[in-house]
Amino acid sequence: MFEGKFYNGRTSKGMPAFITLEPNHIHIVWQTDAESGTEVWLLPDIHQLEFNDATTVLEYGKFPRQSIAVFEQGFRQALEQQYRGAKFLSSKYNSFLKTGVKGLVLGGLCLLTVAVVLFFWGVPALAEKAAAHFPEDYEHAMGESLYNRVLEGYTVDSAKTVALQAYLDALQVQSDFPIRVTVVENEVVNAFAMPGGFILVHDAILDKMEHHEELAGLLGHEIGHVQMRHSTKAMARSLSHYMLLSVLFGDASGISAVIIDNASSLYSLEYSRKAETDSDKAGLRLLAQNRLDPKGMVWLMERLNSDEPEFLKFVSTHPRTDDRITALNAHIKENKYKTAPNPALEAAWAELKGE
Amino acid sequence: MEQTSTVLETPVSTPTLAFRGKGSELFSIQIVNIVLMLVTLGLYYPWAKAKNLQYVYRKTELAGSPFTFHGTGKEMFIGFIKGLGIIAVLYGVLFFGVFSHDLTIYAVCVLAFFAGVSALIPVAIHGMMRYRTSRTSWRGIHMGYRGTLGSIFKVYFVNLLLTILTLGVYGAWFTVNLRKEVIGNLRFGNARFSFEGDGGDLFLLHLKGYFLTLFTLGIYVFWYAKDIINFYIDNVFIEQDGKYSRLDSSLTGAQYLKLALGNMFIMVFTLGLGYSWVITRTLSAIINNCEILGEFNPDELVQTEEEYKNATFEDVADMLDIGIV
Repeated sequence: MFEGKFYNGRTSKGMPAFITLEPNHIHIVWQTDAESGTEVWLLPDIHQLEFNDATTVLEYGKFPRQSIAVFEQGFRQALEQQYRGAKFLSSKYNSFLKTGVKGLVLGGLCLLTVAVVLFFWGVPALAEKAAAHFPEDYEHAMGESLYNRVLEGYTVDSAKTVALQAYLDALQVQSDFPIRVTVVENEVVNAFAMPGGFILVHDAILDKMEHHEELAGLLGHEIGHVQMRHSTKAMARSLSHYMLLSVLFGDASGISAVIIDNASSLYSLEYSRKAETDSDKAGLRLLAQNRLDPKGMVWLMERLNSDEPEFLKFVSTHPRTDDRITALNAHIKENKYKTAPNPALEAAWAELKGE
Repeated sequence: MEQTSTVLETPVSTPTLAFRGKGSELFSIQIVNIVLMLVTLGLYYPWAKAKNLQYVYRKTELAGSPFTFHGTGKEMFIGFIKGLGIIAVLYGVLFFGVFSHDLTIYAVCVLAFFAGVSALIPVAIHGMMRYRTSRTSWRGIHMGYRGTLGSIFKVYFVNLLLTILTLGVYGAWFTVNLRKEVIGNLRFGNARFSFEGDGGDLFLLHLKGYFLTLFTLGIYVFWYAKDIINFYIDNVFIEQDGKYSRLDSSLTGAQYLKLALGNMFIMVFTLGLGYSWVITRTLSAIINNCEILGEFNPDELVQTEEEYKNATFEDVADMLDIGIV
């Protein structure tokens, strides 16, 4: 027999009570100064017991529930012995708590590992997947703000821009986005693509080129990046944690702001080797579509190669240019290319080159 | 039966409040929750929430007896789905407008979206209070919420309008009036609550807190936060059989500083895994510093409230990030 308090569910007065654990029910005898009574609690109607401590609280029946509270006296062990396996005693949560410090530490470490893996691998991968499904309008709008921001740091060569756009217009291009090219003054032999079809070309690379097929190859390569959303994906990947934060704080409009604020990270974006190789193939395809000499791609690579300092060839994560050239040559050999002169392109090229 | 009344005689309970939860215990609950949520892609959330609340309530004591949270994962799951439905419809309207390419439709949809969201806030507070209070009991006596949707709407929109018109200055009165409405409709059996704070006082607290925080290069922020917490607690009154008592918080700025910095370090150094300790530390700091002054008699509460099991707005309130209780 245990001493405890009985609450009848009608008032909060705790009534002193004696509690006996019978085989199929709990027997409660309560009394106050004014009245007394007995209750029989059938096991199936006793509510699940969880998170009890020195005081064991049990509740019974429908709303409003009766309850008892028993302080220590070995009541809990007695319950467990008497009613082993009863529904109101079972708890997944209590059982985990019983594993003690070792279990908790181990569980915590496992969780931490999962969290770290998700954070450093899962989040960027997810962001990249999401970026592939951005609506085109959104991507274009984002690219445009980005492009305007990037251009602030450059001097645009408008004459060459017009000529290059004319060259591009004369090319047969397949793309989900309207392609817009801009020539800027810069001595580094380079060109890059932004999300939504914005391509920036340094004038140094144009000056170095000797054949217009190289230019077509370059444009094809960059359009390849745009079409395959490489820059959108790479940006999503590198900014995925900012994106996660803005989603967590319910500020979805913050995503594009974050991307634009981090426009400078565009220069340090690394495409994977596969992305570069795929874009090289896109360049070849563009040349083929326009019946231009596929060698244009190879010449372009040689142009880049001559500019790359020796030491960079080892540290660069890009596929080495030699490897790219070998791959291109192999590809050219496999496919039969038909070339035909294209006066419109040549005229635009002459316009671009002839100052 | 023998006369045992001398043995069983108990003194009248004193209405002390205490929180006895332990971080390690809560952690052992959270860890199961997190794993199950990962496995179910988050669908376990309502059950996880139910377990958390059940634990926290069970470890909160008044006069030595614990509170009980009766809400179940199943109830909250149904509520979660309904709440998700409401939010989905609102966003559906918004996206319909965004992709319609028609300026009029766009404007109408955006307006409808914002009108919907702002109407949802008082509805969510109302629904959450009804559910949460009805599912809370202590010694078998349930709490309850008697407010009507009409009156909270009125309070909410009149005050929102005034806050907008005064460019936010009225915000302090808005907060206080909303609390008066919500807490004023709170019942604990036959005991009723009221909030007696004054908007002007809250405004002055904010003003003082803001400037002192600036002058002390941020150090005062802990005392500022302490003042706000104590303002919310100290102005809660309880009326029971015509007798009044009130809550009183003795939380000090130094205690709050220790709490806030400690919580920050725990979160940083455990990479967020110590969140359970953050919760238990915060609840102990607030509840263990809180007492009931006056003639409140915890032994004389009488069951008065009806049962209410609709959890729809419990989760909407969660999604809108409303935390009143």
